[in-house]
Amino acid sequence: MNRFSLPDLGIGLGLRTPHYAHIVAHQPAVDWFEILSENYMHTEGRPLHYLDWVAERYPVALHGVSLSIGSTDPLDRVYLEELRALRDRTRARWVSDHLCWTGVAGKNSHDLLPLPYTEESLRHVIARVKQVQDFLEAPLALENPSSYLEHTSSSLTEWAFLGELAREADCAILLDVNNIYVSAYNHGFSAATYLAAIPWDRVVQIHVSGHTNHGTHIVDTHIGPVIDPVWELLREARSRCDASVLLEWDAEIPDFETTHAEALKARAFLGGRS
Amino acid sequence: MTGPGLRDAQLWMLSAITGAEADAADPERFIKPGPRMDPAACLDVYRSAYRARLVECLVDDYPVLARTLGAERFEALAVAYLDRFPSSSPNLNGFGARLPGYCREAPPALLGPLAPFASELAALEWSLVEVLHARASEPLDVSVLEAASPLHWATARFVASHAVRLLRFEHPVDAYYQASLERDRCPDVPGPAPSATLVYRTDLRVWRMTLTPMMTRVLEPLLAGETIGDVLEAIEPSITTEAEAAELGGQLTVWFRDWAAAGLFARVEWTSG
Repeated sequence: MNRFSLPDLGIGLGLRTPHYAHIVAHQPAVDWFEILSENYMHTEGRPLHYLDWVAERYPVALHGVSLSIGSTDPLDRVYLEELRALRDRTRARWVSDHLCWTGVAGKNSHDLLPLPYTEESLRHVIARVKQVQDFLEAPLALENPSSYLEHTSSSLTEWAFLGELAREADCAILLDVNNIYVSAYNHGFSAATYLAAIPWDRVVQIHVSGHTNHGTHIVDTHIGPVIDPVWELLREARSRCDASVLLEWDAEIPDFETTHAEALKARAFLGGRS
Repeated sequence: MTGPGLRDAQLWMLSAITGAEADAADPERFIKPGPRMDPAACLDVYRSAYRARLVECLVDDYPVLARTLGAERFEALAVAYLDRFPSSSPNLNGFGARLPGYCREAPPALLGPLAPFASELAALEWSLVEVLHARASEPLDVSVLEAASPLHWATARFVASHAVRLLRFEHPVDAYYQASLERDRCPDVPGPAPSATLVYRTDLRVWRMTLTPMMTRVLEPLLAGETIGDVLEAIEPSITTEAEAAELGGQLTVWFRDWAAAGLFARVEWTSG
């Protein structure tokens, strides 16, 4: 069990629009669903209807892309209020977002942009994570991002930054092992070195997904099946923690059964803690 | 090594990703070379993804407009729109809201003479998005109306559901939209001919209904909050043909029943008596 006493929910799936009808019609035996928070903000229509239906029947966790925890703009209070309301509405087990920034000066890129890993950034993000956790009155889980560039100003490795942040801000970690694979390829570091530095008692969730290898770099597209080296990273991670596992599939999304079957391959990599 | 501060790095990077190519100059100041890519190539991953993501969002919201214009022309329109109205919201649900208006004001090279029709088609497609996300109303209980005396009817004012839009067009937009859904290729863009379309949601389904001119003259002011009496009084002098009189006299009750059952009205209020 992690230090936050958040439960191992099992093997979950990201809730995606093309699967709504199947899920409602068949109520499949899925351990839990991850909800993309922003998809259910600023709507009072059909998406919210399906979300309520799912949240009444399955454990859910919220996963956001727009908290922009690393931005030097002030935290968006309205966004936080909407996030808290959504958490309460769905009785989500936890709330996660990414170790990144998405915009500045009031403009949103809708991308997960990498931070310079510096002492200045670290202090900045620690303070903001504490603010968010105070507001939510719950631990925030931050996901290691995939990235395609490194800042010249970075003086820390990403894993050192993430570990220090988690300890200092007392936050949780959503460990995306595909992102580790992607960034290790793009920046030439060792995934094993990354994993060795993780404070495992803070890992509450693990992501797996597919990606697109362009040769010069890999893009975290969440497409297609999970490749074997990423499954092996899941095995390694699960040997060190009992975090909930989730498959993300966001491009060329296949039918529900195919997606769920891909997620259930994780069973072979959960180790003795399953 | 002391590099740019966090704020400066973010301001530069966002500008380099979302701005013109000139804004991405000197990337090596901020970005390390990767194992297989130089700083400019690293940055370009983000520049390309930014445009692709937001163009895709607009294609999702405007699929028939995208097919009508073709991929290349729609992308040019979408990128120009993105430069004009960059997103400032945490989510993308409302990102495309200004595209119908932008189609009219876009540089002529983007749409040319198609601009008026493109704007109307975009308005129809955006209304579908709005209605999908709007709060729907329970269908109005028509017995409320039937229980009232006909004299009392004239004072009834309907409060419109949030999930209703009535659109007037200068072109037969809904017919074109429907034909586009039914065919692999979009039909030819039609010439001007006034039309009106009602877009509404009942439970989870979004519906479109083509309105006759008389239906439009009745429903539009009703949705705007005028009383039945005021609406009919305003229409009466403009009825010039027996067909119009017959349509109004013969269909009015049916229309009300259908509109109420479809959930167009959240409730009815009685303004006097």
